[in-house]
Amino acid sequence: MSFPNIFHFWKPVIEITILWFVIYHMMLFFEGTRAKQVLRGIVILLVAFLLFHKLDFEILDWLLTKLFAISVIAILIIFHPEIRQGLARLGRRHLFGTVLRQEEWDYILRVICKAAENLSKEKIGALIAIEKDEPLSNYIESGVLIDARVSVDLIETIFTPKSLLHDGGLVIQQGRICAAGCLFPLTQNQELSRIFGTRHRAALGLSEETDAIIIVISEERQDMSLVYRGRLYKDLSQEELLSRTKEIIKLKKE
Amino acid sequence: MPKQKTSISERIVHLFTYHPWFKLISLILAVILWFYVRGEIIKYNF
Repeated sequence: MSFPNIFHFWKPVIEITILWFVIYHMMLFFEGTRAKQVLRGIVILLVAFLLFHKLDFEILDWLLTKLFAISVIAILIIFHPEIRQGLARLGRRHLFGTVLRQEEWDYILRVICKAAENLSKEKIGALIAIEKDEPLSNYIESGVLIDARVSVDLIETIFTPKSLLHDGGLVIQQGRICAAGCLFPLTQNQELSRIFGTRHRAALGLSEETDAIIIVISEERQDMSLVYRGRLYKDLSQEELLSRTKEIIKLKKE
Repeated sequence: MPKQKTSISERIVHLFTYHPWFKLISLILAVILWFYVRGEIIKYNF
């Protein structure tokens, strides 16, 4: 088979792969943002449109064609901030993400839990979010970028009350301290006890929108809590905190 | 901590466990879109 023939045969495969890559990254980008629900609606409409088109439903096909023509402008206006952020971040992400080895995760979690224990003993409040599969990029952008190795001293320094970055959350991404002073969304859950302050509300809010593992240290009650997928596990010891985080990340226990 | 390289097997496992539904849905959408656009191109003889 000559080269032009091979290319002719592979052209649709290459085109579909490129389309797949673009659609997948668009979905990843919108995951965890407020635009997610809207995007889901658009995808349903798009599938319905293609179905009506294929089945020759002229009226519905015509209606949806007109709707899409108008909605292009509406989408550009509504998603203007997201589109701007997306273009700015283009090319920064790896094709299928990167993965940390078990030993790396083990080391990072130990350091974080040790730092949490120290902060709790010193009556210093803290909020630490560990990125899992869903990107925390939107929240990282609200804080100050650090990009440093995880260390007990650095985490404690960041949360020292007179530090400029002690307000807000610390984000751990790909095993590195990515940013501090980040703003997380507050939960709207009315059932949450009044003893929990803004820090716990922010942790729950973030856990409702992403799959991040969030550690909260309360300065008043000196306790450590773990928040994951909208659930709060309070009054944990350093060992319990480490064991639960490992469980979530699915690391083998010793 | 020294930076360790991820093995190929770990990367392959990660490929299938990191947002598998997103990957599947986006592949289906990509195929549908490709066939739709090709149909339109043939129909209007672009």
